[in-house]
Amino acid sequence: MSEKELQTDAELIELAKQDPELFGLLMERYQVQLSHYIRRLTQLGQDDVQDLLQEVFIKIYQKLNEYDEVLKFSSWAYRIAHNHIIDYFRKVGARPKFNSLEDYEWEKIIGASVHIEKDIMNRDCVEKVKVCISQLPIKYKEVLILRFVEEKEYEEIMDILKKPKGSVATLIARGKETLIRELKEQNINCF
Amino acid sequence: MKDLIKETIEKIKDQGIAPEPRWKYLVKKYGMWAVFGVIILLGAISFSIAFNLLSQLDWDLYRFAHQSAVLYSLSLLPYFWIVTIGILLALAFFDLRKTETGYKYSWLKMSLVSIGGIIVIGFVFFLIGLGGKLNAFLIKDIPYYGQHMMMTKESQWMQPNSGFLSGTLTIISNGKLEINDLNGQKWNVILDEKTLIRPAVNIAKGEMIKIIGSKKDANNFEALEIRPWMGQGMMNGSGAGRSSGMMNNGSGRDMMNGN
Repeated sequence: MSEKELQTDAELIELAKQDPELFGLLMERYQVQLSHYIRRLTQLGQDDVQDLLQEVFIKIYQKLNEYDEVLKFSSWAYRIAHNHIIDYFRKVGARPKFNSLEDYEWEKIIGASVHIEKDIMNRDCVEKVKVCISQLPIKYKEVLILRFVEEKEYEEIMDILKKPKGSVATLIARGKETLIRELKEQNINCF
Repeated sequence: MKDLIKETIEKIKDQGIAPEPRWKYLVKKYGMWAVFGVIILLGAISFSIAFNLLSQLDWDLYRFAHQSAVLYSLSLLPYFWIVTIGILLALAFFDLRKTETGYKYSWLKMSLVSIGGIIVIGFVFFLIGLGGKLNAFLIKDIPYYGQHMMMTKESQWMQPNSGFLSGTLTIISNGKLEINDLNGQKWNVILDEKTLIRPAVNIAKGEMIKIIGSKKDANNFEALEIRPWMGQGMMNGSGAGRSSGMMNNGSGRDMMNGN
């Protein structure tokens, strides 16, 4: 393991401000996480996700002087990614049309929302639930992904979304409620 | 994935992209706090003006106005300033939330800081006389403010048709008391044995008084009670700075007869 790899995020940030090459080390640390987050949230194809990720990294680089060590770097980076995705949806004026969550990712959200054991999930039913989740408003879908797929703590979600803890808890609860209501309305009762 | 890192670094170098200077971020960060400070100061000024108005009013006049204490008190409240403070509080909450760490504050903490700040600083402004000075300025320079927007001490005591009159004593002689009201109109004040003159009232030419009673005609006002301009006159305020003249603690007729 090289000396640079042992350095903290804050130390790497200071180095990256002087030399963009060293920003690559930070990118290396977070590109997988951020790439998954962008894919899960946007449900775009791999190429589009990579384009968005590059834009996010450039924004992070431009904002390096804004970073405050009070926050975890990952939370700060997720926040920039979140804002960039929101801007992206505003710009294209559309909602994602198809789903690209992996099965295990869907199961996490479904399991957390409808309280069932994974092994009793009916395959056909899961497909129907996926459609319902993908139709949720992005504000609900995002907190459900952060909490149950990314497995972030409430405090981290607060830092990413810049919302009070109460609002985060409310969004999660409402997201689940909306999903359950949607399932009932569509007569999806297969669990 | 490796390509993305390489491509991004190349793009950063080729396009000369650099981290934005820290001062820009600091200006934004402290700018939000400065705006919060300005909002709290404006709220505090509004509070000091409102508190000044409320502190000068006589709250016991409902008995003479034939109204309930609650309804009369509600009619005295400075709604313009209450609404202004409410709007400023909403702005303060909004601005606080928009600060860098604002999302971490609970409603309780934001309320304590905002409302507490306005009340504490406002009370200090009131104590140093800022509220009074601004009120005097508004009443003098914006007639609409004193006449229609606010129940000021002046407007509370310039309602002869409702039984409240105030003015400066101009003539004091046996059986005759005359005042110039706040609009400059002369009034003959009729006193009798039942007229209560509060202990701190100084019946002397040039003194300002407040009178509760009833209007008899365009220039005659029958007094039930006379109070000094400042306060309710319950204490005998013969302290420094009072002009010499008749101090009294009895009925109007006694005093006018010099008993």
